[in-house]
Amino acid sequence: METQRTREKQAGKGVQFYATQLGDYDEMHAKEGEVLPHWDYLMRALDRLGSDGLERRRKEAERLLRETGVTYNVYDAPQNKTNPWQLDPIPLLISSQEWAVIERGLIQRTELLDLILADLYGPQHLIKKGLLPMELVYSHIGFLRPCTDMPKPLTHHLIVHATNLARGPDGRMWVLDDRTQAPSGAGYALENRTVMARVLPSLFRDAQVHRLAVFFRGLRTGLANIAPQNKEDPHIVVLTPGPLNETYFEHAYLASYLGYTLVQGDDLTVRDGKVWLKSLQGLQQVDVILRRLDDTFCDPLELRLDSQLGVAGLLQAARLGNVAIANPIGSSILENPGLLAFLPSIARYFLGQDLHLPSVATWWCGQDEERDFVLANLSQLVIKPINRSAGNYAVFGGNLSVAERENLSARIRAKPHLFVGQQEVSFSTAPALSDGKIEPRHAILRSFVVARDRDYVVMPGGLTRIGPQKGVFDVSNQSGGISKDTWVLASEPEKQVSLWLQPHRGQGTEPLIGPLPSRSAENLFWVGRYAERAEAAARLMRTVLQKQRESREFNDTNDLSCLKALLIALTHVTGAYPGFIGEEGKDKLNDPREELISLALDIEREGSIAYSLQAFTRSAYAVRDLWSSDTWRMVDKMEQKWQRANGSLKPRFGRIQDSLNAFILNLVAFSGLTTESMVRETGWLMLDIGRRLERALCTIALLRSLLVPSHDAGVNNQIMEAVLSTSESVITFRRRYRAFMQLPTVLALLLMDENHPRALAYQLQHLQKHIDLLPRERRIQGLHEDQRLILEIYTDLRLANVSALAKTTKRNRLNRNLDQLLAGMDTRLWKFSETLTHSYFSHVQGEQIFASSKVEEEL
Amino acid sequence: MNYRVIHKTQYKYSGEVGLCHNEARLQPRELPNQQCRASEIRIDPSPADYLERQDFFGNRVAYFSVQQPHGKLVITATSEISISPQQSLSEFGTDSAWETLRDRLTQDLSSDILYAMQFTLDSPMIHTSETLAEYGRASFPDGRPLLDGVRDLMQRIYTEFTYDPEFTSIATPLAEVLEHRRGVCQDFAHLAIACLRAQGLAARYVSGYLETLPPPGKEKLVGADASHAWFSVFHPNAGWIDFDPTNNQMPSEQHITVAWGRDFSDVSPLKGLAFGGGEHKLDVSVDVARLN
Repeated sequence: METQRTREKQAGKGVQFYATQLGDYDEMHAKEGEVLPHWDYLMRALDRLGSDGLERRRKEAERLLRETGVTYNVYDAPQNKTNPWQLDPIPLLISSQEWAVIERGLIQRTELLDLILADLYGPQHLIKKGLLPMELVYSHIGFLRPCTDMPKPLTHHLIVHATNLARGPDGRMWVLDDRTQAPSGAGYALENRTVMARVLPSLFRDAQVHRLAVFFRGLRTGLANIAPQNKEDPHIVVLTPGPLNETYFEHAYLASYLGYTLVQGDDLTVRDGKVWLKSLQGLQQVDVILRRLDDTFCDPLELRLDSQLGVAGLLQAARLGNVAIANPIGSSILENPGLLAFLPSIARYFLGQDLHLPSVATWWCGQDEERDFVLANLSQLVIKPINRSAGNYAVFGGNLSVAERENLSARIRAKPHLFVGQQEVSFSTAPALSDGKIEPRHAILRSFVVARDRDYVVMPGGLTRIGPQKGVFDVSNQSGGISKDTWVLASEPEKQVSLWLQPHRGQGTEPLIGPLPSRSAENLFWVGRYAERAEAAARLMRTVLQKQRESREFNDTNDLSCLKALLIALTHVTGAYPGFIGEEGKDKLNDPREELISLALDIEREGSIAYSLQAFTRSAYAVRDLWSSDTWRMVDKMEQKWQRANGSLKPRFGRIQDSLNAFILNLVAFSGLTTESMVRETGWLMLDIGRRLERALCTIALLRSLLVPSHDAGVNNQIMEAVLSTSESVITFRRRYRAFMQLPTVLALLLMDENHPRALAYQLQHLQKHIDLLPRERRIQGLHEDQRLILEIYTDLRLANVSALAKTTKRNRLNRNLDQLLAGMDTRLWKFSETLTHSYFSHVQGEQIFASSKVEEEL
Repeated sequence: MNYRVIHKTQYKYSGEVGLCHNEARLQPRELPNQQCRASEIRIDPSPADYLERQDFFGNRVAYFSVQQPHGKLVITATSEISISPQQSLSEFGTDSAWETLRDRLTQDLSSDILYAMQFTLDSPMIHTSETLAEYGRASFPDGRPLLDGVRDLMQRIYTEFTYDPEFTSIATPLAEVLEHRRGVCQDFAHLAIACLRAQGLAARYVSGYLETLPPPGKEKLVGADASHAWFSVFHPNAGWIDFDPTNNQMPSEQHITVAWGRDFSDVSPLKGLAFGGGEHKLDVSVDVARLN
């Protein structure tokens, strides 16, 4: 009873306090005090949850998003940190009657833009008939002259189209702008939906929400349809600008959701007028490119010569009809804000219809009357340049000082055709959760349309974004906006449609093994290496700290000698020279604290744990699309945890010891997850080759620095024990050899034992097996260089005799034979790494531009 | 007049290039008074792909890619051209005031004029400004016939500017050229175009060659055996008329037109991307020979 009452009280806090700003249209109320019928069910359910319940759901959503690694990169943030995606747990609701109107309007708009695109890159009737001013088109950077002679597509030019919608004070939906070159957001909308269905499962089920899958099925069908060849089973890639792009998460997410290969510009190459993916299996022809790269960056040969992100020759391949690109290059002409002013008359010309969804009122200054109107009303309008660029963006006339306004007026007068004035719209508010209260926030809905076959399909829903604070209109993610799921309510329950049920035309049941882009292979290789490098450093550091404690406790000189040897080994294993070695190292050996902290935490220092961990995370992020969700969660967690545990300005030494244990455990878990969840294809081979190679190298460094020099028996024993414990081999050793700590037996276990996963022989055996399975571009008689190197190393090891290796020269007390063997293996393993890099990863060749220079310089 | 032009470009690399993609605008256009009787591009090593097409401005473009490893790339374009004298300008009504003709550009939707309109707008390398407009204005007092104004502008550039290949690079902005009164043919053409566009007129950039055999007793013209550049202005009655501000003359039989566009960036004779190769050394030679 008590709880019931508390709940009601809290619930009251939710809806009752919800107040809309005067004069704004609110999505839930429309009129003051009256909840619209389609919100009724949701609001009552939210009331029952109460603000605590809602807050719990919000937290749960936050956790899910973080764990899935949904991010949005904010440009210029320190170290290009990724920002977690923010989701408000209260969806935006749209009734099915209203949605029908919006949907109709969106389809009409996409069809119209499609016709305009075809016309501008074709006959240009619109310009010739005076329906579009020529300056508006020809002055826009999106009008790409090299794209005027592309082959005509069978059905649509415009494949994917996103529109930003907002509701004005009168309750009507308005179009704010369109995204046509590489629209983003559909993947985020899908991810929002996935999370919402998990945090409010019963509510979601009972509310009868339209599913989004119909859109993604449409996208798949649509992309397969535009393939110029190989339509039955086209090779489709998602072209991303790379991990630093603001929506990289979405590129990876969509690629893996749709089963396409995620590529960057230099993963592709144009040969024989066709586009090819450089994969480990050789060159593979690409039929369709779903691009997330802006127009002018797509082809450095014909567009921006300085673009590092594109594919040289891509336009030529498209011109020859050998590849289809969605959207076609040049589509950004439709993002010209000046177009909005002319859409109504173009709609009448092409379709004989009025626009179902009006655009926000826009005046293009290229016409005298409109220019004068804009200049006279500058402070009430939003002024947009038709070409957005750095330092040249939309401004609210009302926010300008007198001087700024005059400056802008002068710029408009000088080149009026480059500006538009737009009505400053105040758009509607929707209920959102903020500090446990439900508050109205201004909202914008981004909707998505895709060309399926002969028709266009609208995503039933979309990505709703709301301002970060009350009263704020700027909802962009760059300025901290929050997203919402959008529920289009069905009149009756919908059947679950899954992406899996898509009927394939004559699709066989042969599993497809997708080609692995060389870049992904390289990243996987480095994921393996850095994970192992971080682990080796962490394990040895743990041993060092342990020894440090003991030496303080017992004050034994043997402990101290052993500690010094271990510190020197730490420098060798991490490769962070000079460290404890040489003259400089002497002081550090006596007071190792600072150097140890640096080796653990200094992210700038190559070889430190923090550095390897960061490099590991970056490599893993670059192949974000290849990890299972559990694996990615692990990756993401590790860096966060390490930083959280040790990130304070004054790191506490004791803390490092604690977090080392957790860290090692996480690395082992990562290793286990990959072993258990990755298919044994080339990708896994690359990861494991990296891991085995690095473990071999680290083991060699460890044994060389600790077991080659010989000390007094007492110290020797301690060192051997430390080596065994660092290599996680103490228990095995004891079980096998009892208490007799002797060099030959230690070596037998750590060097020669093929069944011991920490032994060198084990690494070599696996390397040998793995490289035999790698795809080869050509067959040769005998062995490839990498195979030969591993065979040599492995053979040397197998022929070695542990007793002979353990023989110490009297003069300098060094185990010469052991040193020679290890040194020889080390050199050849590095050579092996180079060979592998050369034969498999050399795709990233530097490219150079040669443009004709200044005319007279050609004399 | 008949000519043979050989334009040879050579890239030498310190390392090997595995793949390169290129675009060449080296083959002369067909014009009412210019016939291109033969034109051929030879590429060594031979390209895996070679395709000719016309670009947006009607220029001849050759796309090619070399897919075999090479340390040296040689592109030789050889063309044979016949040029006859231009029609005399006096046949057209060319004495209309420049501002009357300018206003016709914005009021007329006929296809010639619509086409010309695109050359009134800013382009990648030419942005008009108040300073450029002001420099040009002096040549266009009210009522002056258009072509007289352009001739005056050409003459002013010729006399007030110093030809100086050391001063500018491909990226030198026009403001600097104007401030220092120095540049080369490309800068002078860009400058004239900017001044004309700033007055609302349509002007385009022309690239080509100039025959430079000095006529007996006369000084040798600048730009000997090299690529050359000048500009063309649109006259609603007479069409496009060429001017060469570097030599203060209206091209007739000695200027061989290769391509035109909004500015240099549309007609770059050769551009490309090579993968690998390390350092590269460029060597260009142009030979314009009169044939009898």
